Amino acid sequence: MEIKNTRTPSPLLTHVAGFHSSDHDLLEQLLPLVTAGLAHGRPVAVALRPATTEAVYDAFGSLPGLLQLAPPEGNDGGSGQTLAARRARQLRELTLSFGPVTVVTEHWNRFDGHDGSFWTELDAAMNIALSDLPVHLTCFFPEMPLHLEVVDGARRNHPLLLHRDGPRHNPDHRAPREVLAERPAPAPVLLGAPDTRMVFGAWQLNEVRATVERSLLAHGYGRDRAEDVVLAVNEVATNAVEHGTGEALISVWEAADGFVFEIQDAGSLRDPMPGLRAPHPSEARGRGVWIARQLCDSLHVWPDRTGTHVRMRATP
Amino acid sequence: MGWAVTRAIEDLTLVDHACVIPDSDEHLWEVTAAWVSCGLEAGDRVVYFEDESADLVMRRLSEDRTCVRHAMENGQLVVVPTEATRSALAGSIESIGDILTGQIDETAAEGWPGLRLAGESGPGLMREGGLEKVVAFEQMAEQLFRGHPTARLLCRYDRRYFDDAAVEAMRSVHEIELVSPAVYDDTLLRITHSGPAAVRLAGEIDHSNRLQIRRLLLATLDSALRSHSAPTDITLDLSSLRFVDVAGAVGLVHAAEEFPSTHRLVLTGVRPRVVRVLDRCGAPFAEQLVVEATEA
Repeated sequence: MEIKNTRTPSPLLTHVAGFHSSDHDLLEQLLPLVTAGLAHGRPVAVALRPATTEAVYDAFGSLPGLLQLAPPEGNDGGSGQTLAARRARQLRELTLSFGPVTVVTEHWNRFDGHDGSFWTELDAAMNIALSDLPVHLTCFFPEMPLHLEVVDGARRNHPLLLHRDGPRHNPDHRAPREVLAERPAPAPVLLGAPDTRMVFGAWQLNEVRATVERSLLAHGYGRDRAEDVVLAVNEVATNAVEHGTGEALISVWEAADGFVFEIQDAGSLRDPMPGLRAPHPSEARGRGVWIARQLCDSLHVWPDRTGTHVRMRATP
Repeated sequence: MGWAVTRAIEDLTLVDHACVIPDSDEHLWEVTAAWVSCGLEAGDRVVYFEDESADLVMRRLSEDRTCVRHAMENGQLVVVPTEATRSALAGSIESIGDILTGQIDETAAEGWPGLRLAGESGPGLMREGGLEKVVAFEQMAEQLFRGHPTARLLCRYDRRYFDDAAVEAMRSVHEIELVSPAVYDDTLLRITHSGPAAVRLAGEIDHSNRLQIRRLLLATLDSALRSHSAPTDITLDLSSLRFVDVAGAVGLVHAAEEFPSTHRLVLTGVRPRVVRVLDRCGAPFAEQLVVEATEA
């Protein structure tokens, strides 16, 4: 039997960090990357501060090949892994239609949170979520940010550093697992008392589903959407009792404009960022959380001394 | 009264006063829907005393592709609403007897050849007057139906409301117990045979029972491969499958991919919710998997 690989090899993720000393310096480094991408006939996707975005559009005008990538958002400091999952979804579609894509992003201190670790989490998650996509990604950071963590994280997460003559190998680069072991994904802001709490094991998953579904339907979620959210909750809950200690706790905050679910167990994570990499069709495992990420507006996993937590938010 | 004779569900027409002891909710709806549709098919009038359960019986009837709209419109199928059922069961045994007699007379007056009764009497009577009232009801019913051979009654005794001793007592006062054998029933999921190389799944598949499903699927395939007369399609009727988790759906897709090229896995009556999970798990790309969605 002859086995042939029918897939044409395409270049996978190139992840470059660039540092700038001023807005002027930033544009001098950034604009040539956009020019090069467009010259290759590739789509160029950007996620930049408003002033930089304006400068890019001033330079190139409104071109069909120039696109905006999902910006950071959220009043709880944002979830780097949620943003990475959303961008991966956008870029997967783009690369499927157009092939390799050039991406340029920029640090924005508005999303630093209290220590800047949002950016470390984001870039580690991007390394995982985009690993199989033909994306040329350059992230710009100020040389002197408010939080030193921003630069430290950038130096560990990026395999390449941008120099005047182009990208060069970065000896400080570390794999996402190592980066996240040193600086785990941060806990999101505390919420008030939940509307519902329930301890469950593997044999009560059906009760968790029934409780969540009843509640979603009572708050005006459509049937299909409620069923999809129940599936997402079920997958995360299943993971908690499968890999954890056998018992887990679900808390639910009910609101007509978006339910929040938090599931915690006493286990530790084998994969610090589950469900970010698109599952291979032959893999039975790992698909549940990936699908849950597609179905929720945000899904944030973080560890602490008591075990593993997952917070999901799902709008109607 | 003698020992109960067990009857398969196919023998429904022979039964006048029978009981069923359901293994699970899905079993209960399966038997109740069979009782109703058998009565409708025979041309009898069917009266169901509901206690917030009519929706579930109707759902199972529609999954069984039994059309009841016409029967509801022309009065062949009557659902006694929850409030009326509860107030009837709160009354004395004599007054319950009068209600049943009234139903029998009404059926004859309207010209129906027979009457089939079913509903939520057991739990209701237990709530109102304990096991004593249940026994009194059964004695009254036995007497009544002996005098009216065209009327039939299906009683059910769930283990949720009756302990083992009570279930045994009820079993012995009914001449006939209806049984419908299941391949598997863990109260979350019920699997029954629906033909050669065909099984029907009712309920939910999740982390707690996924491995059993896989084992059963492989055993069904195995016996089909060993038999020359068995069809080359292994059919799973999923009309009553209400939930499947991601690993369960991936399991179905993988099972089909591992089938020998001569065989296919055919999923019929698949509900939209289950179709969406299968779609997300690669079902459209599995060549030996056929997904037949249910009509809305």
